[in-house]
Amino acid sequence: MTNNNSNLGPKELGRHVIQHAKEYSVCVGCNACEIVCSLVHEGAAGQMLRRIFLERDTINLEDHTILTCQHCQDHPCYEACPKKDQAICIEADSGIVYINEADCIGCKKCYKACPYEPKRINYDTVSKKAKKCDLCRNREAGQACIEYCQVQCLALSEADLGREN
Amino acid sequence: MKRELCGYAGKILRVNLTTKEITEQPIWDYVPKYLGGRGVANKIFWDEVKPGVKALDPENKLIIMTGATTATGIPTGGRIVIAGIAPQCYPEQYAWSGMGGWFGSELKYAGYDGIVLEGALEKPGYLFIDDQTVEIRDALAAGIWGLYTYDTQIKLESIHGKDVKSIVIGPAGENLLRMAIVATANETAAGKGGFGAVMGSKLLKGICVRGTGSIKPADVNKVLELRKTMGTPGFNTNPIKESPKFFGHGQEAEVEGGLREYNTTCSHGCNQHCPRLMMDIKSTTWKQERMNQVSKCVGPFAIEWKYDCAWMPAQTYVTEKNNTAACAMMSGAAPPPDFSDPEIPILFDEHQGDEYNFWGPDYNRGMTINELCSQYGVNKWDIIVWLMTWLSMGNAEGVFDDIDFGMEIDVESEDFMKYMLDMIVYRKGYYGNLFAEGMSRAIREMGKEKFGDTIYQQRKSRRLGGKQLDIPISFEVAWGYSAHWNGRGYEGTVPLDTWLPIAVEMMTSTRDAQTNTHHKDTTDYIHAMKTDPYGSLAGPQSVIMNETKSELKEAITTCDWQLPDMFWMTAETELFEAATGAGLTQEEIETAANRIKNLFRAITIRNYDRTRQMEVDEIVPFHRYPDADGICIDEDGFNTFVSNYYRLRGWDEKTGWPTRETYEKLGLGDVANELAALGKCPQ
Ligand code: SF4
Ligand code: SF4
Ligand code: SF4
Ligand code: SF4
Repeated sequence: MTNNNSNLGPKELGRHVIQHAKEYSVCVGCNACEIVCSLVHEGAAGQMLRRIFLERDTINLEDHTILTCQHCQDHPCYEACPKKDQAICIEADSGIVYINEADCIGCKKCYKACPYEPKRINYDTVSKKAKKCDLCRNREAGQACIEYCQVQCLALSEADLGREN
Repeated sequence: MKRELCGYAGKILRVNLTTKEITEQPIWDYVPKYLGGRGVANKIFWDEVKPGVKALDPENKLIIMTGATTATGIPTGGRIVIAGIAPQCYPEQYAWSGMGGWFGSELKYAGYDGIVLEGALEKPGYLFIDDQTVEIRDALAAGIWGLYTYDTQIKLESIHGKDVKSIVIGPAGENLLRMAIVATANETAAGKGGFGAVMGSKLLKGICVRGTGSIKPADVNKVLELRKTMGTPGFNTNPIKESPKFFGHGQEAEVEGGLREYNTTCSHGCNQHCPRLMMDIKSTTWKQERMNQVSKCVGPFAIEWKYDCAWMPAQTYVTEKNNTAACAMMSGAAPPPDFSDPEIPILFDEHQGDEYNFWGPDYNRGMTINELCSQYGVNKWDIIVWLMTWLSMGNAEGVFDDIDFGMEIDVESEDFMKYMLDMIVYRKGYYGNLFAEGMSRAIREMGKEKFGDTIYQQRKSRRLGGKQLDIPISFEVAWGYSAHWNGRGYEGTVPLDTWLPIAVEMMTSTRDAQTNTHHKDTTDYIHAMKTDPYGSLAGPQSVIMNETKSELKEAITTCDWQLPDMFWMTAETELFEAATGAGLTQEEIETAANRIKNLFRAITIRNYDRTRQMEVDEIVPFHRYPDADGICIDEDGFNTFVSNYYRLRGWDEKTGWPTRETYEKLGLGDVANELAALGKCPQ
């Protein structure tokens, strides 16, 4: 599957959104990344609509953690999907694992298959659709979360950093 | 059937803590007419709380309201308002307090625009809202009763999951301190009013919420644009800053191992990071553990207080070329000043006012006081700006010579301050109980003439070459609140043309108004006021503009510091429209603000017999003491200012009561009728 609108070149295979170390820029926990992610994809803001996850450090405010989909090259979410290549697809040039909601039947198998805890894929119980990071492949300006982070602590990984990173 | 708008969740949650009845009410009963936030709170209070109710009575309602922008992604919309009869006010009156944090947005994601609490529990509890499932839980069984504010939140996260957001009270609220706060996150609080004590009186330790739903703004593109433009955020990195010392208002404080800090954000969806976060403070409440502590405008005064802050004019006035929000100044995101601006001398007038020498620098003591105030859940203005300065000045003047607090008075000693705070928060002994009633009441009980009005002999004006000026040992301004950027020395200094409108803003309020008004104007104002500060209409017009903006900040809701923007006067209208799509014009939004203000006025008239005489008598005494230029209020001149202000507002000049015509123009005919029946609505 290829997408001509993709904003990622083929050399950027497997890249994903990372959070810089706090020595470089401390995440202020403002939620802007989550908010703009859901706004650009859904036109609304909310927990079940985001594709990026902020775990707030409620009191010390120092270790706000950003959890993102790693766009795994072995993509267990894709493998688990009963409607693979229709509901979950892989963009050939970039390796972006994305969901085509029109074909998603809401079985949640992708969610369960994601090896991370917490999961890096979201599930909207209202629309009964899985939601996951598509690296804003259809957005000309690129990744909204990175663009709108007021302290520039998000970036695209240089290359595939693997599951541990 | 009313039109449903974007931006709102759609419902208000109502909880009767006595009967345990939990109901829902459509927000459409109140909006768009009252916009949201404080506007809706005023309407609910007017309709439901009649004269005679006391702050800590079960009949007092605690009204918690978000705004239309909350949870939409509109910058600074994360703020909420808490309103009701405020025990901190002297005398008790209806008041409000704003707070940031993440509770308001979570509440909206759970499906509620606000919560109205009434009655009281019979044993300590907390409210748990899990989307639409609302339960009153046992605070003793949960092990949170008695805990500090940070610990309570952490415990609630361990019980309900890391994703819940809570507003809580600390021991101060439980023990009904009149200056108890409602706290959330680190150092974010509804600080004024004493609403922590109202929660304490209802035996409600906190409200914990999880919301998984969503909120849809009317105009997503506009929201995205605002995130880039509002307050001109820097989009720069936020590295940890290191400096060898803490630099205060004129004194340096040693920091063991050096000071490490960075900036952080204080509410959901904000696009700025103004608060300073001091890292690795020596924690008192967490024993061995490391702790970070946010420090906003008042905190640094606990570290050292020799002079007032010289930068108040820079935070008050702007020009088109130099128009920087105060928050961007704090975070360092502000662009460098444009020195081609002819107004630079006014804007960057380093207005050095008073020298007090209250206490020498001590970083650990200062941060310990900040930490304890946050953890106990007590208002820092009452403690740092009022109690501590009063102890320092009173001690110097010998007024405490015959008094035994149980430990020798020494505000420079961390141990003494710990001792005092512990005594007050846990109401230990006569003085613990006395100060738990707040400074205004404690001083009256002790005898105001001696313990309030004694003159501190060591106030030196830096503007007058070190001349000694009178100042009372008690920093009380009005309605039971301490000085708070009133501009007459104390924390900061501005000239007569600027402290006059600030005085009127506080006069018509029921509390310290500067926390949310943060008086602002262009330098044109200063020029207009030059020849006749008391008689010029520029003064009252500036008051009305600032009051209108302040109503909007807490109705829409948006940040106290980021707005108003004097060169973007339609900001509030644009934010409201982006959230709701209600199609209200600038004029309609300003009318709504005016409606909210006049309804507030009606509450003070009906419930508290507010008159011109009462409020002028309340505000004037503090202004009889000289400002840093040695200028005292001219009472005749002030009365001219007040008359002009009332006339422009459509209020009767003699009584200060809005006329029937004023109410009716605002769609408040029913309010006029009710007041007319009491003989309080001039034709
Ligand atoms: S959703 Fe999980 S499994 Fe799928 S690509 Fe992302 S991180 Fe990997
Ligand atoms: S929820 Fe949708 S995307 Fe996920 S596995 Fe099922 S069909 Fe595929
Ligand atoms: S890259 Fe796009 S889809 Fe992925 S988390 Fe960021 S905003 Fe959301
Ligand atoms: S936008 Fe940036 S600073 Fe804000 S929560 Fe996301 S990563 Fe953190």
